[in-house]
Amino acid sequence: MNLYDIIFYIFAAITVVSGVITVTSKNIIYAAFSLLFTFFGVAGMYVLLGADFISIVQIIVYVGGILILLLFGVMLTNKVTSTDIKSGSVNVLPAVIGVALFAGALISIIIRTKWTETPGEIPLSTAGTLGSVLLNEYVIIFELLAVLLLIALIGAASIARRTKEETN
Amino acid sequence: MLHVGLHHFLVVSSILFSLGLYAIVTRKNAILVLMGVELVLNAANINFVAFARYGDFGASGQLNALFVIVLAAAEAAIALAIVINLYKHFSHVNIDEADNLKE
Amino acid sequence: MIPNLSEIFSLTAPEIVIAVTLILVVLVDLIWDKNKVPAMFTAALGLIVAGVVILNGMPETGMIPNNYMVVSDKLGLYFKFIIVLTTLFILLFTYDSKEIIESHLRQGEYYALVYGMVLGMFFLTSAVDLILIYIALELLSLSSYVLAGFSDKETRNSEAAVKYLIYGAISSAFMLFGISLIYGLTGTTNLYGVNEVLSTTVVNIYTLGFAVILIIAGIGYKISAVPFHFWTPDVYEGSPITITAYLSVASKAAGFALLIRFVSITFIDHVKADGEWILNGAFDWQTILIVLALLTMTVGNLSALWQKNIKRLLAYSSVAHAGYILLGVAVLTNLGLVSVMIYFAVYMMMNLGAFYVVMLVANKTGSEHISQFDGIGYTMPYAGVALTIFLVSLTGLPPTAGFIGKLYLFLALLDSNMLMVAFIALLNTVISLYYYVRILKHMYLKNVAEMPEKIETRGYSTVVLSLLVVPVLFFGIYWTPLIDFAKYCVEFVIK
Repeated sequence: MNLYDIIFYIFAAITVVSGVITVTSKNIIYAAFSLLFTFFGVAGMYVLLGADFISIVQIIVYVGGILILLLFGVMLTNKVTSTDIKSGSVNVLPAVIGVALFAGALISIIIRTKWTETPGEIPLSTAGTLGSVLLNEYVIIFELLAVLLLIALIGAASIARRTKEETN
Repeated sequence: MLHVGLHHFLVVSSILFSLGLYAIVTRKNAILVLMGVELVLNAANINFVAFARYGDFGASGQLNALFVIVLAAAEAAIALAIVINLYKHFSHVNIDEADNLKE
Repeated sequence: MIPNLSEIFSLTAPEIVIAVTLILVVLVDLIWDKNKVPAMFTAALGLIVAGVVILNGMPETGMIPNNYMVVSDKLGLYFKFIIVLTTLFILLFTYDSKEIIESHLRQGEYYALVYGMVLGMFFLTSAVDLILIYIALELLSLSSYVLAGFSDKETRNSEAAVKYLIYGAISSAFMLFGISLIYGLTGTTNLYGVNEVLSTTVVNIYTLGFAVILIIAGIGYKISAVPFHFWTPDVYEGSPITITAYLSVASKAAGFALLIRFVSITFIDHVKADGEWILNGAFDWQTILIVLALLTMTVGNLSALWQKNIKRLLAYSSVAHAGYILLGVAVLTNLGLVSVMIYFAVYMMMNLGAFYVVMLVANKTGSEHISQFDGIGYTMPYAGVALTIFLVSLTGLPPTAGFIGKLYLFLALLDSNMLMVAFIALLNTVISLYYYVRILKHMYLKNVAEMPEKIETRGYSTVVLSLLVVPVLFFGIYWTPLIDFAKYCVEFVIK
């Protein structure tokens, strides 16, 4: 058991434990904050897999963007001071058993599957390679994503503008 | 078994997927369901990066993960706008209770 | 291998037209920010140009660059053409829709979002790379979530948007997990590459099966196949009618194009001379598809029997029709594919027409409850006759185009010796007759005692309605051009 393994287990533990808290916590604020640790844990996994650029993007976009959005959503839709912040969940026991069985089945088929394992060298930096592949083979997806972000902008603005019309 | 390999990463991603599934099944609050969806997306991303690393599939795996992150951000923006809009109408965001649309 | 720039341009010419027009629509909307007519004309013009580009590209043989993520073939172009026609009709409907016109200032966004949907659907019909498919699907979904909740007069709009969003986000996330597993098994997300690996090596059948089921969940959500259909009635009822009609036709067309491509590229070994597809045995597709199809049509038809809201009734009817079309895919022959394409062209006309009449009635009465249709046959005679024709066509009776669609579907089934399946489909058609006739009963047999007072219909509405009624009748009597066009477009490319 070397240092790499130990770090992996630490990150795996962070990811899984905070993931469990995210999906079980009765308090929606706790759930949102433990999601933060899950995202950090996943970013650590990316580093261990030699994906430094993805790891940074994960932290910037997920933690800095998506999570903040989710927190905004939580704050805006629940009056923080009131006890209304509790979120109900239904049929916990059957769901736990069902999902546990599912997870067991999934893990067992995934362990038994023979994946291709011919690991190459971990490059020192991936950003350069990613950039050139992105603008060559994947240029269509790159452009499509640009349109998608434009649509997301228009869509979100359209919903926000509607409420302005209402008040006028 | 102790030495970390591809399977270890896949097990973590399977657990994340199952946790996301659990949130989707049990949560009633729309934002909490969306958090479950984010867990599933992260699980898929770990898969992409891990397969690319251990199978030596080149840059495509990491790029796929990158695309998914961008998509997740766009989806979160739209999703939050729509959910907050629902809140304005119903004063709650529980998807089970928004049931005007029934016979 | 990456094609050079001019090849990429000719591969994605229709998509480029749409993307450029999307930008133009946004700009035009910014320049004339009070008058919304220029934005609408730009949108319509862009679609016409795209349609011309598509028809122009048809005669050339398909372009399948090696290992690239986009192909251009007649199958994709056919579905793109259907999508363009549907979008044009939706723009015509929009001009007449109270719900959308009332949100005057935001109409520019409406056209931009519709264009977002069109771009997503175009890529879905021509993508052969799973990650591009996922992104195109998300583009389509994100635009349609917003459009489903576009008008804000009633709470049911925002409810529809949230339901569509939640179920859509879940199914696309599952689909992505399935894609990641396929990537792990084969080392590529390109469908041709996946096909190559699956036909040369043996992969774990359980992992592959799980991944494929997850991907089918993503596609099944778009075409609202049972058991992924539960969002359909709520979203169809809550959305503005123009969007409901759009979702029920165009979004399904893209979903089916995607399903056909996914099945036919990934799991096919070769095509026999008589047009039968031989699968590479990695996965028993046919049984799954047939079960899905039969479930879809039966659940759709049986649920439609009890509906009191016409939009909801048409929602279940569109679920049932998805079942019939799925059956055409499930026979896995070229003849089945021809029948799917014919059925879709017909389904487009009759379904759009039915929704348009519902919209005209709802514009006058403010509701889509079935009781609002009492005596419509006398107060709005032309709309009544038109709806009658569309409903007869949806049932599949001659002399309407719907009969031709069903006829070719059953021919394809009988050609593959699926007697039992054809029989169940026939029984389903009989069930559907009951609820379609119920609408007719409301239109002609209720409230006839009093002297009916005519409700004025705009000349514009009459013209648009005629544009749909005439082809439904015309192709019901003289269907050869439709069949020839569909056969011409079934150009099947296996490498």
